[in-house]
Amino acid sequence: MNRYLSQYRENEEHILGWGFIVLFLLAWELTPHLVALPKGLALFFTTPYHIALKLFDMVTSGEVAFHFYVSGSEFVIGLGLSILVALPLGLVMGRFYTLNAMFDPFVTAFNATPRLVFLPLVVLWFGFGIWSTVVIVFIGALFPLLINTYEGVKNVDRVLVNVVRSFGANEWQLMKIVVLPNSMPYIIAGLRLAIGRAILGVVVGEFFGSDQGVGFLMAEAAGNYIVDVVFAGLILFMGISLVMTMAVKKLEDRLSRWRPEQVKTF
Amino acid sequence: MEPYIRSTDITLTFTPKNRDPVTALKDFRIELNSGEFVSIVGPSGCGKSTFLNVLLGLLKPDMGEMEIGGKKITGPGVERAMVFQEFGLLPWRTVMANVELGPELKGESVASRRPRAQELINLVGLTGFEGHFPHELSGGMKQRVGLARALATDPEVLLMDEPFAALDAQTRDLMQAELLQIWDKHKKTVLFVTHSIEEAAYLSDRVIVMTARPGKTKRIIKINLPRPRGYEMRLSPEFNDIKLDIWNTLKDELNPRE
Amino acid sequence: MRFGVLSERSVRFLLGAGAVTGFFLVWEFLLTFVFTFNPFFITKPSLMWDATGDLILSGELWKDLYISGTPFVFGFAAAVVVGIPLGVVMGWRRRVAFALDPFLTALYASPLVALAPLLIVMFGVGIKGKTILIFLLAVFPFIFNAFAGVRSVDTLLINVVRSLGGKERDLYFKVILPSTLPYIVAGARIAIGRGIVGIIVGEFYAASEGIGHALIWFGDMYQLGHMFVCILVLMIVAVIFTVGLRKAELAIAPWRTQETR
Ligand SMILES: Nc1ncnc2c1ncn2[C@@H]1O[C@H](COP(=O)(O)OP(=O)(O)OP(=O)(O)O)[C@@H](O)[C@H]1O
Ligand SMILES: [Mg+2]
Repeated sequence: MNRYLSQYRENEEHILGWGFIVLFLLAWELTPHLVALPKGLALFFTTPYHIALKLFDMVTSGEVAFHFYVSGSEFVIGLGLSILVALPLGLVMGRFYTLNAMFDPFVTAFNATPRLVFLPLVVLWFGFGIWSTVVIVFIGALFPLLINTYEGVKNVDRVLVNVVRSFGANEWQLMKIVVLPNSMPYIIAGLRLAIGRAILGVVVGEFFGSDQGVGFLMAEAAGNYIVDVVFAGLILFMGISLVMTMAVKKLEDRLSRWRPEQVKTF
Repeated sequence: MEPYIRSTDITLTFTPKNRDPVTALKDFRIELNSGEFVSIVGPSGCGKSTFLNVLLGLLKPDMGEMEIGGKKITGPGVERAMVFQEFGLLPWRTVMANVELGPELKGESVASRRPRAQELINLVGLTGFEGHFPHELSGGMKQRVGLARALATDPEVLLMDEPFAALDAQTRDLMQAELLQIWDKHKKTVLFVTHSIEEAAYLSDRVIVMTARPGKTKRIIKINLPRPRGYEMRLSPEFNDIKLDIWNTLKDELNPRE
Repeated sequence: MRFGVLSERSVRFLLGAGAVTGFFLVWEFLLTFVFTFNPFFITKPSLMWDATGDLILSGELWKDLYISGTPFVFGFAAAVVVGIPLGVVMGWRRRVAFALDPFLTALYASPLVALAPLLIVMFGVGIKGKTILIFLLAVFPFIFNAFAGVRSVDTLLINVVRSLGGKERDLYFKVILPSTLPYIVAGARIAIGRGIVGIIVGEFYAASEGIGHALIWFGDMYQLGHMFVCILVLMIVAVIFTVGLRKAELAIAPWRTQETR
């Protein structure tokens, strides 16, 4: 008995965490058996079992593969472009005062505004299809990355800059040896935000501006009251999001071996 | 003999954003012989660090110029290296990689710089800590890394800006003794900034006492104590007389409000 | 940087304001004199100016903002009322945190906005569906930031206050609240953005009024001047909220400027 208790103590965090999720799913599953749902709601009600079945079905039948590929491409291209643009621009903005003062109002305004207000415009300019979504993903992910890179560069340690310059480093070496490593924690934090924004961009972009992709599947299913598909799509996105978050965490651990302890970020 | 380092009158004024300009150095001049150990003491804010940065080639004076070995200083150079008060270690680099920084920036290959870095790490007593990151070291160890790093480019001149100020008293005594040994063995020219009169007297051939800002030389005190100097020497009456002399020169410059 | 009598702040402001003005001027100039102007593809500032007058005089703008603002306020208020206590309890009771953290993290990580069509279908295009959507999106930043805030409370401080004879009440008001509040304000800043997402997606999907609907509708009508004004209005609203909350954050906790970013 005591042994079980101590084992429980050791794993309490995981047991409680998973326990709650299982309990939640169970309660959801049993709801229609225990209470009589109002007519309107019953039409849209589904249970975890049905969702899982549907998801399994979609995956094994290959129905979802193409759309998943489309969504994945949009995500990768959009996020990749935003990294390519944000890092150099952030480095430059962090080091040139005038440029930074001029860009600041634009960056603040665009960052504060959810980028999907531009969706109708983007669809008008880039047409219905994958490129509109790519653009939405791009502008969604760009600003958190840009702002964080810029903050990181601005907060570079003056002493370290002097140290490295005293050994005769040129501007490029200074970037490589001090500025970039110093900004890395900021950039990673920006990347984490950017991933969330990028996924949001994929979903919303496909909802309103595309006829392909997992987001489109969900929108179409919702229009036809096929609730299982909506939740199955949500789970797919949730999976991508968790995998990406874990990848960033790995990257962060890799890059921050030199740090005293993990900085908790929320 | 021609002095190894010399300057004309140096004047430097900072003009920071939104603030009044500050003249940190006014007509400050200095002459150092090769292999000499010279300390600078002076009130806080009198321009000591500023001067070291000029000598290091990071700051350009408004007036005056400096020569080293007959060549004008126009920027950082391999014959000079600084040990910084705040250590200035790159936190994302291991001890080894920090020590290797100078040679690396000079473009030396790993094969040629590694053995020398290892030698220096052994010299400062950090054998076994090559793979550690700065946050895993104590203050004294960090400053040993700083010293090894400065020595790695084999400079003629070591500039040291209050290098031991952040250390506890015992570690400080130890580091001073080690520094003297290294200096003796490697025949460097050392310019050493400190707030500790005792430290200046113990280490130096000459002590430069600076005035309050804008800093210039008030007096140069020669320390005619025999070398090698041991710990016992610090308890001798001659040593105390020298300390008193430095103190008397310095005390009028100290502003009680600061 | 300093030019004559101007302080750094004013220089910065002038540079920024100059850049914004310049942006609109160049825009107008290019479309008037350099490129052929295609009104079905883009608009220009002078037309946006006319559209602004039109939207304000007809009262449409205020009506749309009111329509969109109402569910926003309800949803946001619900998020505060539910999110903060939940986060505080999670921070205070270890086991509650163990149980809820993975579940909520998974939800936070998933694009809940994808449920928009479902919620609209279930609860209708009116205020109810939008309120629920906004609540769903805005509640998580409050939960997680209140949680992080309470956990950040320095136990040393608690012991200090206790040892000086502080009561439970003092702990709450002198230690826990001041340490947690900045986190919550930072959470509010994130929640605002997500709330606006909720509004817009909700109204894009199916609605007949509201600022999000106006945006789509003017786009469909090729009234690009009006559409750009809607975008600008949304940007201004977002900036006012964000900058305001940022200021509040600094005012509440001037000692921590970086951590919450
Ligand atoms: N980058 C800078 N911008 C503006 N003023 C500066 C700058 N660096 C130094 N100063 C000013 O110049 C003066 C001399 O500074 P410095 O750092 O050389 O003093 P110090 O003698 O090294 O003092 P301490 O013994 O306290 O280290 C000080 O008044 C300081 O405020
Ligand atoms: Mg100094």
